[in-house]
Amino acid sequence: MLARISRRLAGLLATLVAASFVIFAAVYAAPGDPAVFLAGGRDKLSPEKLELVRAQYHLDEPLVVQYGRWLGDCLQLDLGRSFKYSDQVADLLAARFPTTLALVAYATVLFVVLGVGAGVLAAVRRGTWIDSAIVGGTTLAASVPSFVSAIALVAVLGVQLGWFPVSGSGTGLAGTVHHLTLPALSLALGALALISRVTRQSMVDAGTADHVEVARASGVRERDIVVRHILRNALGPIVTMCGLVMAGMLAGTVVVETAFGISGIGSLLVGAINTHDFPVAQAVLLVMVTGYMVVTTLVDLAHPLLDPRVKGTAA
Amino acid sequence: MTHASSRTKALAAGLVTAVTLAAAGCSGATRDTTDGSGTADAATLALTPVTTPAKGALASADWLLEDEPDSLDLDTQGTSAGRVVLTNVCERLYQLQPDMSTKPFLAQKAETPDDKTLVLTLRAGVTFHDGTPMTADDVLWSLQRHADPDMEQGDEFANIAAMRKTGDRRITITFKTPDAMFFKALAGDAGIVWNKEQVEKAGEDFGTPGQPDACTGPYRLSDWKSGNSITIERYDDYWGRKPLTKQVTFRWAADSALVNALTTGAADGAYAESPNTAAALKNKKGVEQHYGPSTASLVLIPTERGGLKDPKVRRALSLALDREGIAASGYGGMVQPWGTPVGSGAWGYAKPVFEAAQKAVAHAPASPSTEDLSTARELVKKSGADPAEPIVIGTDSSQGRSVVANAVRAALQRIGLKGQIKTVPAAQFEQFYSAPQERADIDVLVGDWYISKADPMGFYDNALSDSSNNWVGFKDDAYDAKVRKALATLDDAERAKLTVDIQKTFTDAAVWISVAQVPSVLVLNKDMTGPPASMAYLYYPWAAELGAKKG
Repeated sequence: MLARISRRLAGLLATLVAASFVIFAAVYAAPGDPAVFLAGGRDKLSPEKLELVRAQYHLDEPLVVQYGRWLGDCLQLDLGRSFKYSDQVADLLAARFPTTLALVAYATVLFVVLGVGAGVLAAVRRGTWIDSAIVGGTTLAASVPSFVSAIALVAVLGVQLGWFPVSGSGTGLAGTVHHLTLPALSLALGALALISRVTRQSMVDAGTADHVEVARASGVRERDIVVRHILRNALGPIVTMCGLVMAGMLAGTVVVETAFGISGIGSLLVGAINTHDFPVAQAVLLVMVTGYMVVTTLVDLAHPLLDPRVKGTAA
Repeated sequence: MTHASSRTKALAAGLVTAVTLAAAGCSGATRDTTDGSGTADAATLALTPVTTPAKGALASADWLLEDEPDSLDLDTQGTSAGRVVLTNVCERLYQLQPDMSTKPFLAQKAETPDDKTLVLTLRAGVTFHDGTPMTADDVLWSLQRHADPDMEQGDEFANIAAMRKTGDRRITITFKTPDAMFFKALAGDAGIVWNKEQVEKAGEDFGTPGQPDACTGPYRLSDWKSGNSITIERYDDYWGRKPLTKQVTFRWAADSALVNALTTGAADGAYAESPNTAAALKNKKGVEQHYGPSTASLVLIPTERGGLKDPKVRRALSLALDREGIAASGYGGMVQPWGTPVGSGAWGYAKPVFEAAQKAVAHAPASPSTEDLSTARELVKKSGADPAEPIVIGTDSSQGRSVVANAVRAALQRIGLKGQIKTVPAAQFEQFYSAPQERADIDVLVGDWYISKADPMGFYDNALSDSSNNWVGFKDDAYDAKVRKALATLDDAERAKLTVDIQKTFTDAAVWISVAQVPSVLVLNKDMTGPPASMAYLYYPWAAELGAKKG
């Protein structure tokens, strides 16, 4: 197990380094000149001033040199200072990351509970109208992009009915939950169909196993069969999918954050890209990639714990 | 040296919001114009610099910004969002009034023994928010900080020969040549007085979250939660009149989130930086709008490439442009057809003179008459412009700019020329202003502009032959001489006369083609009143006037 974990970690690191270079180069290659934004107002945009600014921020050096400088600083846990905000990038991230994390966590709870619940229900009632309703309903939900659902939720539940706040992330636990309900819901809606479908199929597959038939024949209660024998064996793919979806959400909160006026790392990233705030854009992307990789690695490592059958093949 | 403002991206970014608003199903500009009922009539949009004075106290108010301030150090990073907050916290040597006039402020008295000397006598009894008194040393140090060429306001000090402390409460500034604009600059960010000790103590972190302010204003910065909110609190030892509202909390939201927050009462007010936001909020229950003068305008900026090189063609385009149509369909009637490159907020003195001159501008009809069009066609014929060679119109994809670009194309068509629209991403658009090579393949830019000073002369140096903003290569020695003379004329009445003359040369040559002026819009909870509606909100402690309508 230890060897497996260390192998995984090494792979994680290698991927991170590769990803960091791609991110650095991609942000660098984006159209537009950061010096224009750094220089200040339009009356400062003389070619000489722009040259000065480029030199001051090392923007005139070759890409590889800049990358080396940046990587070196990162390894010393120095993410630099934002071009836009004069603040430390680490401080900017620290202030916004909890909001995004809370949003993703809330959305995860929603899609896991609702999605797995719906999937189990559909599997148990396979072929009935309930099954069709769930499959149809979740498909509809998934086909609505999150920015559309966000706008609809705000318009109806926020503006018309006034049940939920329409912007900001709130303070305190109750405030945060209240403020983040609509954003989390619109984030979770898209995942519902996927999770419920995977759950349903996984349950159906597990339901055909011989030991389930045996259990049924020996008169075990149906509820126990579903929980102990079917759901447990079906859990592997479900957890994997939940993990993947959650990891993807870490990088996908941008639209929802903008629609709800939430200052998370998603909106920070959009602002940073628009103003060519390289240090911030690179750091946010790196955090997002790291988050994705950490979650997927954790899911991978947890897999054998859930399903002992996997252990042999994976090792 | 130019006196054009530090033009922030805020307005430009704001204009982009329109598309999102329309998608959000809020009453966006597009819908307003089709049903007619929600459209503000541009011709009757009354601009009042002030709102009714407040009578009652407020424990707190929630204010919205269109973006989180980059920094609260306006010397290193000056943006509108930062100014809207900080103008309540920091005070300047001069103060811009809601009616856009300026008067000495932290400098209690300002004397000019001769045209090249300014003696400032500082107000006594003023304390910084840490309790220490404001001294001449702080003022001199602040001026020197602003004057650093790397700082935002550095260019305002280009004409200064020396700045010295000449008494306990006295600063003497001497100029290389008389500089009428410097007095206006002292009412802007170049006149902020910092607490030297606080700024030095914070070092590189000055102006970032977690740092105290270093100012003397009616409010002090109490908290900046990065990414969440900024709170300012009434400063109890303030030397002047105490504000009615104890605490103001700033949050930020863009596009539909901003509109929704104001609609639902989650926020009490905001200064709408884009006409489209204002249009979306028009006629919403519980929300009132106040329109005030601003220096902002929508303009067409021709480049020296190709078709618009000839002033005759530029005049013809100006004559054929449907400004009223642009105002209605691009901006929900929230902008006014206009003939000069600066809005009426720039008239900080000699208002009647400037007003009459604006009305007298030739070649800028609100909507072209048949006569205008035939004159325009005649001009094009005389110029010998090639009708087959398309004139390339540079724009981004924001609703307002797209409408202007299309209106320009239609106008060109009407006068027998061909227009071709080149749309670039918003991030790239801003580069048209900076890099000549970026605008190498456009003939005219659909732009916007504002000046930070309430003086039209703060604008006209953009057409000096050596100005980097003179893209079309306008060259007129008499114009240059007149501009230099006006900038050195300290007497307001005399400078106004010179300015009107300069303005005539500028508009006759159509160096830039003016489209509309963009008013400043204050959106306010209907139970509240007090703050100025004019663009002075960027430099005047507007929150100190905020309060309840009823006492």
